[in-house]
Amino acid sequence: MKITFPHLGNTYISIEALLEGLGHEPITPPLGSKRTLELGSELGPELICLPFKIVLGNMLEGIDLGAAGVWMIGGWGPCRLGYYGEVQRILLEKAGREVDFFLLEMPRGNMVKTRGLVSRIFGNTKPRTLWSGSQLAWAKLEAMEYLENLALKTRPLEQSAGLTTKILNTHLRKLRRAQSIKTIKVLMEEGHKDFLDIRRAKGHSDTLKVAFVGEIYTVIEPLANLNLEQRLGELGVEVVRTISLKKWVQDHIFKKIIGRSHLSPLKRSAQGYLNTFVGGHGLESVAHSVDSAKANIHGVIQILPVACMPEIIAQGILPQVSLDYNLPIMSLVVDEHSSETGFQTRLEAFVDLLERQVYAHA
Amino acid sequence: MPIIGIPRALYYFHYHPLWSRYLEELGFEVTFSPPTNKEILEWGLLACVDGACLPLKAYIGHALALSKAGVDLLFVPELIGVWKREFICTSFLGLPDLLKQYLPSSTTLLSPPLDGRKGQRALARCYWRFGLTYAPIMKVKSSWGQALNVQRDFEQSSREQNLNVPGGRLKLLVLAPRYLIDDPFLNGNLLAHLKDLGVVVLTPEQISDASGHQSNLSLVKPFFWSGARRSIGAFEHFFDQIDGVINLLPFACGAQSLLSVVVEQRAIEKGVPTLDLALDEHTSELGTLTRLEAFCDLLERRKAQ
Repeated sequence: MKITFPHLGNTYISIEALLEGLGHEPITPPLGSKRTLELGSELGPELICLPFKIVLGNMLEGIDLGAAGVWMIGGWGPCRLGYYGEVQRILLEKAGREVDFFLLEMPRGNMVKTRGLVSRIFGNTKPRTLWSGSQLAWAKLEAMEYLENLALKTRPLEQSAGLTTKILNTHLRKLRRAQSIKTIKVLMEEGHKDFLDIRRAKGHSDTLKVAFVGEIYTVIEPLANLNLEQRLGELGVEVVRTISLKKWVQDHIFKKIIGRSHLSPLKRSAQGYLNTFVGGHGLESVAHSVDSAKANIHGVIQILPVACMPEIIAQGILPQVSLDYNLPIMSLVVDEHSSETGFQTRLEAFVDLLERQVYAHA
Repeated sequence: MPIIGIPRALYYFHYHPLWSRYLEELGFEVTFSPPTNKEILEWGLLACVDGACLPLKAYIGHALALSKAGVDLLFVPELIGVWKREFICTSFLGLPDLLKQYLPSSTTLLSPPLDGRKGQRALARCYWRFGLTYAPIMKVKSSWGQALNVQRDFEQSSREQNLNVPGGRLKLLVLAPRYLIDDPFLNGNLLAHLKDLGVVVLTPEQISDASGHQSNLSLVKPFFWSGARRSIGAFEHFFDQIDGVINLLPFACGAQSLLSVVVEQRAIEKGVPTLDLALDEHTSELGTLTRLEAFCDLLERRKAQ
């Protein structure tokens, strides 16, 4: 079956491999653009958060490319994301796009429905391709994050603007085509070497470090955060990601299956500021900000979509963290009306402030 | 007796009989903040993060009002869930931690975690654990029993409200969290206006928890927020008695906007008209009134045909 799925940064590289392993044909929607956002906002409810609208836009564009099925993740709260898929299914139906909707979540109750879903997913799967496909998907996810993190380190040191991004994109394109784990390993080594060359050319490596916390979708999806990582990198700042998709999958799928929680180290870090899991990445935002302060990172940027409750709780608490550790923290709220120029101005002001603070102490 | 304050917002409207009786029995003197007014909302708006929803901002205002009135001890439970396998809105999970940022350090918050996700007995145990710090076990149990009785009576009476009112020009179901329906200042006197228009109003509080649960399970994907589950339950229960549905959408309330899509779909199937009313601190009462009048006129014409 031809299946489309929403974008999340560069994860499509990995999801394509997984879908192929399952015996489906992946239909990757075009990378997010203004049109994606317009399509999504038009159909979606007004007061829902930005990720809902972008994801819905991705689905619509994927269906236009001929997809007959849609993959979306679900969940059982407290974050609203768990219910997005169902509402998107209703909205797609209302818009006259009849598709097979796969809501991927822990089954609850209705066993008949679950069995139907499982048989639709695994209908054409051969055990051998499933094994190699999921291995490949996992390796691609790992390689993708490895390359992206290297790019974050390298970008502030590049000599000609845009070079890192160009190299990253070339490697990602190769990674997308890679068909064996061996090629992926070679690619990772090549990437490591290429990025190292750029960094060596500069000589010293004294850069400002800014940790990036917030709601996972807006952190990872460049359309939602207006390419924040690239913008900061080009301002000479090394962005430290506190959110990793690989870790998210491990925490939320593998650990959940064996019944272990990933929350206790987070709760320890956030102790005294936020003592409960508030859904989404609220607890992570607070915990990682505290950790960043202790890890000698110069500043923190929190990014959240309008109306994201868990992050709003975190946003209310972060000023206290900022005061206690003398750590500049900026919260950026994004929605479909965010302006690039306004965004850039705020980032530049923040970086100026950091520079003044850091070099005044030095 | 130590004085303890309960802010008159959010889950106060669901549980004030239970909370006040229980705390009184445990030896506190309970006081409430005054009903929401302009000043209280203003305090909340000034203090709270911009992106929070209107009722949450009002809550912060109420807590500040209590603190300004000299109450140093506040009851701000950390509500996680009140029904099996369901959450209440996420914003209330972190409420005590958020509130701490805005109150003077002399104010103490009593915030027992109340987690009913494992059922009603687990929820009761949370209350007992909290009570045990103030009274011996026998006293806690008897206090709990009394509080629970008061709460049952209260829920019973809100269930029967308006249910058997004869006549009325129209019958409408208003879907919104209770803390919005019961706070006339926040909803712009919606209920009073509807009454003036000759409308009998039904709300999600008029069905029992169990019946809401049943119709929720029949959805393609059941809701996992208690408020939304109640609303969809009320719709399924009342759809053949009502002339229309009003969805109140407080600004930035995601649960309510997802619910409105599901309700709309069901309502189209059943042929029930719906009206979405967004609410925030800038909503004008007159604008709302005009929309209500227009909606009612349409419904009446439809009914006459």
